[in-house]
Amino acid sequence: MRIDIHAERCIGSGVCALIAPELFDQRDDDGVVVLLDPDPAPEQQENAYEAATRCPASVIEIHEEG
Amino acid sequence: MTSVMGNHAEELPSLPLPDEQRCPFAPPPEYERLRADHPVIRVTCPTGVRAWLVSRYADVREVLGDPRRFSNRPGTAAHILLGFSGAEPVGEGEFPRMDGGEHLRFRRHMAPEMSNMKRIGQLRPLVQAIVDQRLDAVAAVEPPVDFYAQFARPVTTAVIAELLGVPEGDRGLFQKAAEALFTGALTAAEVGEAMRPLFEYLYATVMTRRANPGEDVISRMIVRSDGTERPFTDAELVRMSAAMLLAGYDTTASMISHGLLALLEHPQELDRLRADPGLAATAAEELVRYLGVGGGLLREVTEDTEIAGQPVKVGDYVVVAIQSANRDSALHPDGDHLDVSRPAGAHLGFGHGPHQCVGQQLARLELTTVLATVARRIPSLRLAVPFDDIRFKVDTAVLGPVALPVTWDKVLPAAEGGA
Repeated sequence: MRIDIHAERCIGSGVCALIAPELFDQRDDDGVVVLLDPDPAPEQQENAYEAATRCPASVIEIHEEG
Repeated sequence: MTSVMGNHAEELPSLPLPDEQRCPFAPPPEYERLRADHPVIRVTCPTGVRAWLVSRYADVREVLGDPRRFSNRPGTAAHILLGFSGAEPVGEGEFPRMDGGEHLRFRRHMAPEMSNMKRIGQLRPLVQAIVDQRLDAVAAVEPPVDFYAQFARPVTTAVIAELLGVPEGDRGLFQKAAEALFTGALTAAEVGEAMRPLFEYLYATVMTRRANPGEDVISRMIVRSDGTERPFTDAELVRMSAAMLLAGYDTTASMISHGLLALLEHPQELDRLRADPGLAATAAEELVRYLGVGGGLLREVTEDTEIAGQPVKVGDYVVVAIQSANRDSALHPDGDHLDVSRPAGAHLGFGHGPHQCVGQQLARLELTTVLATVARRIPSLRLAVPFDDIRFKVDTAVLGPVALPVTWDKVLPAAEGGA
């Protein structure tokens, strides 16, 4: 699994950091997502999918390969 | 019903509106048939707006998630509230009606205060202290007590007012303005009149804190603004502050009283929460899914396109039925069932897309803290009147019981370091 971020759309909702704080953080000055781990461990992959599904601004893209 | 607008006498069905006296926790029963047979259908709304009503989960999510085709320009509630006039030009700082980069500029300025998870973590002790203090105050009164007026509203008022640094004596101002804003009975002019004292107060506050900034949200927004590419004007800062105050208290307070009522009417679920207050976070999320956003949200079509195969034209209005979407079996096969341990899932109770509720993380924190604390400190909480005597609000965008008369045997003391 590989995670890509389209930060230009991010509204700083915090939904990803709520679901998967090991994978996503937020910048202090505008709340925009910071990707902590583009290549999550197997036990984090379910959280990654949930964050991608629940992100209100469709910022998180998940690639199966790689 | 014949529409009051438009120039041809097209007979349209009316937008099904929540009738909580009949269905205290569920959307109107018509929605089940609409999802099955008419997922996109023309309706007339209470303010005379004609719109495409969208009721299936996948379609609602698609509309809210694609702001390029479905704009916020008319305002999210102009179909049910006369006070939200979708035809007016967008005011300076009126970000709920902006799209794209203009809107993003405001969201990212509010995010550090309302939706940065590190910030939310820092606010947890403050919210716990406010909830415990309010329960102590309530415990000193002989029950029955109206938990909406005496607990839920004071808690959410205190949280947002503490954050923005609004002293206790000034809080009536924003409560009055919020009441005017969320009632469907007032015209845009009347709502504007009700807002003026609040805007004047906040304008003076922005002036004072610009000169002498403190640690509160308004001061922090002023200070941070100066470091941005395009600093915010006083009017824009007033609008953001007003939005936080107005949206921040009665929506959450009503969700607290409506949610507690739903739990009292689902005693098995309440017992599970009492046995394990650690379920409070999933219970809070489930109540937002189960009860959220009664009247639906309005959008405007920006280009000729389709929703679920139904052609819609540029300029058409669309109403997405959030409650219906959240009960759709495509989201949860047992969506009409209240389950306090249900994994959160991609429900639409806070909306979806770039305009998703800006206060959602604060609302989650408040709801979770209230549910865990009430379950632990008042295990004997129960209604003080028969359920049939509960009256529900009508003619408003914020649903829930008018009052929540409850009683108990004993209120337990707050735990050391919070419940």
